[in-house]
Amino acid sequence: MTILVQEPHDEVCFREDGKRLDGRAVDEIRSFSCEVGVIKNAQGSALVRHGGNQIYAAIYGPREVHPRHLAKPDRGILRVYYRMATFSVHERKSPAPNRRENEISKVIRESLEPVLFLEAYPDSQIEIYIEVIAADGGTRCASTTAASLALADAGIPMKSMVVGVAAGKAQGKVLLDLGDKEDKVGQADIPCVVVMKDKSISLLQFDGEMSLDEMKLGFEYVLKGAEDIYQSQLEALKSKYQKISEEALKEDAKIDKSAIATEEKIEDGPAEGPEDLPQNKSEDAVDLPVAEKVEEKAAEPKAPKAENPAPEPEGKTTPSNPPGDA
Amino acid sequence: MIDISKVVSSLEKNYIRKLLKQGKRIDGRGLFEYREVTVTAGFVPKAEGSADVHIGDSRVMCGVKYDIGRPYSDNPDKGVCTVMSEFVPIASPMFEPGRPGEDAIQLARVVDRGIRHTNCLDYNELCVKVGEFVYILFIDCYMMDHFGNLTDTAAIAAIAALLNVNLPRAKIDADGKLEWDGTYRPLNISEIPISITFGKIDDVIFVDPILAEEMVLDGSIAFAVDEKKQVTSIQKYKSATWSVEEIMETSAKAVEIADELRKKLNLRQYTPKAC
Repeated sequence: MTILVQEPHDEVCFREDGKRLDGRAVDEIRSFSCEVGVIKNAQGSALVRHGGNQIYAAIYGPREVHPRHLAKPDRGILRVYYRMATFSVHERKSPAPNRRENEISKVIRESLEPVLFLEAYPDSQIEIYIEVIAADGGTRCASTTAASLALADAGIPMKSMVVGVAAGKAQGKVLLDLGDKEDKVGQADIPCVVVMKDKSISLLQFDGEMSLDEMKLGFEYVLKGAEDIYQSQLEALKSKYQKISEEALKEDAKIDKSAIATEEKIEDGPAEGPEDLPQNKSEDAVDLPVAEKVEEKAAEPKAPKAENPAPEPEGKTTPSNPPGDA
Repeated sequence: MIDISKVVSSLEKNYIRKLLKQGKRIDGRGLFEYREVTVTAGFVPKAEGSADVHIGDSRVMCGVKYDIGRPYSDNPDKGVCTVMSEFVPIASPMFEPGRPGEDAIQLARVVDRGIRHTNCLDYNELCVKVGEFVYILFIDCYMMDHFGNLTDTAAIAAIAALLNVNLPRAKIDADGKLEWDGTYRPLNISEIPISITFGKIDDVIFVDPILAEEMVLDGSIAFAVDEKKQVTSIQKYKSATWSVEEIMETSAKAVEIADELRKKLNLRQYTPKAC
């Protein structure tokens, strides 16, 4: 692999004003946003943007286990596939899954198992597919956050949401939510996943040098940062249903209006309706729909727009419509 | 969520067939009406170029990365460009994890030929030192949501991502070593190939099949069309047979639809500025 532009390897992680390179304070998380229902084929899905990370997670299942011999007669199995896109990192990654991806898949799975009721799905599997489209440090944490959202979006019962966020240390300072450079050149990294219900830790790794006091401070930061991310998760889950309910209200309003419109039409001339049918097809009645249109416009200025351009099918369906609409 | 099984009932198949015979489609489109196409480019900061393309609900993300390596011995002054595709299981309950299967390989090769045979890339531009250093471009297409016609979706994503490339430029220093000259420049792309796929059920031909249609159709055919209104590559899928007349008529239709789509998408807007 020969690439021209190398990533910076210097140790500097702070600006002159004491803030971190992206302007954050030591106990501040990166910009975070998330969305659910982004993969239409999936049972549940989520997109998490955490710093420069863009991570998609999709849930398929509970469904039959393939190969069969992996199935457990007394409980369901959870399978997690964490994968990075070839173009998500600075140097192109080979598309074949490597040891790192396999390990991360495993630790993510073990961080989610304690919040699921797998015993409720004997002989079945729940699959979580995670695709890192853009990586910017802390992908295993952001992936777990995304997986948790996708599970909730899929309607799979959970004891609690989980949130992933890391603490670490760079240039002698304890930091929350390491960015890509802080992760690579820093002295320590503690990726954590927090079970929000009881604030217990369900994923924990640690690499580097840190005193126990520093580690304690790191955990304090993690719990604080997790709370912020958790609120965004809840918002994302709620906003999906808010959108649905707004659309449903709009639909309701449409149905109400058209029901009123058709009722009025029947009152106007119930006898005309059925007679229209044969007439419309014959050639000498060609201008009839036009005349009807003008009358309608004059009589019902409030009628929904969609109805005016197509008076013909309207006329045909009117007699049978009202009971169905109501 | 749409429930997709590997088997479509004969009832649904007959329904789709019946509608097509009447010139109708199950999603209400006309036979030669393309779905809505949207393109977002440059959304992956670490990729040299990227594009996220939706055709209806089908979605493909494509990223371009580079490497510098030795050229092929028969083309010592030309760079290399490869298209790969990943049918990641995120996109559909029918996809399974693992190495790319034959469908994924076929799709990548069809997209690759669309790019190669329109001569849209300047392969000489990708040569740094004859016989020693050339750019190798990797175009990786990830299927993110499968609702039919992934070929066209991936083809648009690939060319949009290529147009979006800002490539760090190399120079050879006094000792003959490779180094970065400090600039980024977009690729010199002379043509914009567009792929148009048609499905066929019995003797009815229609453009841009959706998933349900794809699962019941007898065959399909993909045309890559360039800006000179020429067909530059064709791939016939599945077992349906096509008469010469059908192929010629469909080619003409492909040229027409591709032209319209190319104008509408204006993919050159995603070319970055050199810096």
